[in-house]
Amino acid sequence: MLVPRISQRAKLILSILSALLATLILFSSPGLGSNGKPDDETIRYKGQLLSIRRDPLTQAPLIIRGIESNLLEIKNFSKLSRKEIAHTGPLLVNKYQSLLQIEPDQMKLKGAEKISDTWYVSYWQTFRDVILYESSLGFSIDSRGNIKSLGALLYPHVQAPVTSKISHEEALKIGQKQIKDYKKLKCMLLAESVLIYPVKKTNSIDYYRVYAFNFFPEKALHPATTEGGWAVFVDSQTGKVVLFETLLKPLGCCVPEDWVPPKPEEMKPKW
Amino acid sequence: MILLGFACQEKTEKPSLPKLGTPAIDFNCQDLKGQTWSLDKVRGKVVLLRFWADWCPYCRYEMPIIDKYYKKLNKEGFLVLAVNVKQSAEVALAFTAQLDLTFPVPLDPDGKMARRYGVYAIPTNFLIDRQGIIRQILIGEVFKEETVLRDLLKDYFKLQ
Repeated sequence: MLVPRISQRAKLILSILSALLATLILFSSPGLGSNGKPDDETIRYKGQLLSIRRDPLTQAPLIIRGIESNLLEIKNFSKLSRKEIAHTGPLLVNKYQSLLQIEPDQMKLKGAEKISDTWYVSYWQTFRDVILYESSLGFSIDSRGNIKSLGALLYPHVQAPVTSKISHEEALKIGQKQIKDYKKLKCMLLAESVLIYPVKKTNSIDYYRVYAFNFFPEKALHPATTEGGWAVFVDSQTGKVVLFETLLKPLGCCVPEDWVPPKPEEMKPKW
Repeated sequence: MILLGFACQEKTEKPSLPKLGTPAIDFNCQDLKGQTWSLDKVRGKVVLLRFWADWCPYCRYEMPIIDKYYKKLNKEGFLVLAVNVKQSAEVALAFTAQLDLTFPVPLDPDGKMARRYGVYAIPTNFLIDRQGIIRQILIGEVFKEETVLRDLLKDYFKLQ
């Protein structure tokens, strides 16, 4: 019969269309589940129920939350010194090491600050004592010493060079050359470091050991000017520039009338 | 890739830097939860539009104070849109989790929205009233003292 045939064909077309639509919706919000929310998984880890969101590429946790329990409870917290509080990160890494996939001694303190009754503590990940650019692990500790969750951007199994093939002087010259009118603008080197720079590709990560430089023209140091600076990362193996970008100025405060140029050590580097 | 889905898109074509007392520039961004934000969507709310990055230490330490007021006044129409500038979704997500932040965090991975707003330093904050007019532009670390934000919000909300 003609009518049912058309109806079946229509059903088939409709089902193909809805499958296509579902695929489109799914891919229009990458990283999100079909319910429109980011995917979290619930796992049991050493008897503790945890909610985890993972980095899609590295599978390292971006967020770990305790479900009806804290990640860590620090005894006598109110009596701890700042130095002792700064040591809570390695304790946390030690407890969740197989999830985080890094060693406690790979962490370097980024900052520990008390705001109201809460401490906010954060770390960089290091590889052979060299900081990984934009890596982090951090958490807050409430007044009772409870850590409920952590946020992290970690890189398990880093494979990076441990020595540099080109000298600092060579790298600096390469860095300076990237800036047009370096001398005319009276550019200053306001921060420098050796870093591991992870570059995410589709299915893998390239790790560069880089000389990282932050340059600012003299004029840009005035907070009220819109002039910015530049970050240049030079590969320590090849001398190739692997990152060049304009910088926003991190400002400690509003623009005072009696402004004086900051000293290099007062400027905050972009890492 | 995740970045494509989260990117902020410029809506208007001609760039114009915002000024006090003028309408806020339109935007269209996705936040970390995949929610889209635009000026139309936030009209009727008092909005603190904040540009930040995780490497800026001042940005970090002001966030919990801002979040405190967001939690307190959100139901009364106070919205914080903390736009992360030129970083990946993973960096922004880790940061917000570390500080337990509850307000929306739109992403501006290529810095287009920041440029449209004339942002040259971070943190930079724009306070936008219920009619979509820019009432305050605050550059640098200004909320470390909680009273600054409280005094600012007193004009719009009942605060003790």
